Amino acid sequence: MNSNPHKPTTSESAYSPADETLRLVASLPAPDGLEDRVNAVLSAGQNRDRVLGRDRVLGRDRVLGRSRVLAWPRAIRPESGWMRTAAAAAIVFVVAGGGWGVYMRVEQSQTPKVIVMPARMPAPGGFSGAGAMRTPLTLPGPAAPQPVKANEPAKTDAARPKTVKKPLSRPKGISSGQPSGTGESSTRPDAPR
Amino acid sequence: MSTSQAIVAGWMESPTSAVNDEARRCAEDEALAALVDQYAGTLYRVAFSVLRNQSDAEDAVQETFVRVLRHRDSLGEVRDHRVWLIRIVWNIVLDRKRRAKTRPETDDVSELARVLPCTGLSAEELAAAAQHHAHVLSCVDQLPGKERQVLVLSAFEELTSVEIASVLGITESSVRSRLFRARNLMAGLLEHQRSLR
Repeated sequence: MNSNPHKPTTSESAYSPADETLRLVASLPAPDGLEDRVNAVLSAGQNRDRVLGRDRVLGRDRVLGRSRVLAWPRAIRPESGWMRTAAAAAIVFVVAGGGWGVYMRVEQSQTPKVIVMPARMPAPGGFSGAGAMRTPLTLPGPAAPQPVKANEPAKTDAARPKTVKKPLSRPKGISSGQPSGTGESSTRPDAPR
Repeated sequence: MSTSQAIVAGWMESPTSAVNDEARRCAEDEALAALVDQYAGTLYRVAFSVLRNQSDAEDAVQETFVRVLRHRDSLGEVRDHRVWLIRIVWNIVLDRKRRAKTRPETDDVSELARVLPCTGLSAEELAAAAQHHAHVLSCVDQLPGKERQVLVLSAFEELTSVEIASVLGITESSVRSRLFRARNLMAGLLEHQRSLR
């Protein structure tokens, strides 16, 4: 570790000739008359600029391939700042007005009041509905009265066939006067033999 | 010119504005001449440190002030004219150096022998000194571009590290780190050349 910070290290001592050369080159005096020559070049450039500027004002810059019909007054010259601002404002106004006109002409689409449910697509490999249609469940309405036929006699309790009550139990061997299941075919005359 | 044309011309170009314009132009010319007198020498040294040719450096200085002349309307917005001018001439000389790579290099030794101070030196000593400086400058040319630029600019005593950073468009810490690297590389190159002898 270098204890003395002012003592040059090995690399600094090796670098010192380079530093000396660079400082020597950087401190070289400028050649005599440099300022005069630069001023001469600048004055020539200024004169040329002035001639070109005067030609431009007088509309004589056809030499440069441009023609000028009207020399704008300084106040409304296109190069002036407020002229550019006004032009930019006019462009913005035209674009915004056009957009507003288009917006006002186009009718807004009516939003649908009924939400249409999309058709449910059967999942591949699943069960199909087999074309079944869903019928909505409706409430039972009021029963309509049945029309009564004029020729038909009104059904009374006497006209109704009486229901014969079967005896709950019948003793074996006692005939009840009705044919039994086994002897019915023999008693009927039109029964096929 | 007819009477109507004269009236229109008089309306278009008001005399007061023309007088003001002329006065403004005169003030700008004086300011530009003052800049030339004050900074032409500094700009020449910066240009010569890169180009190492007297006429090329002078051309670079003239081109710098021609550029300033073109943009003299924005002269009042510049805070530090010296750094601003050095930055312009720096860009010009780097551009010229880049283009000069396609051309054959000028003989640095003879050019240095011509421009270096020769007071109290014999012809032989002057030739040896020029040889030594040319050798050192060839080592500088072997450095990477970033380190070389910082090293060349640091040789100017009138430029601080902040101003070098402003010229190169980098931070001051970058200037310091690049300068450290450049000095180490330079020392290594000089040691290597010495060991080869």
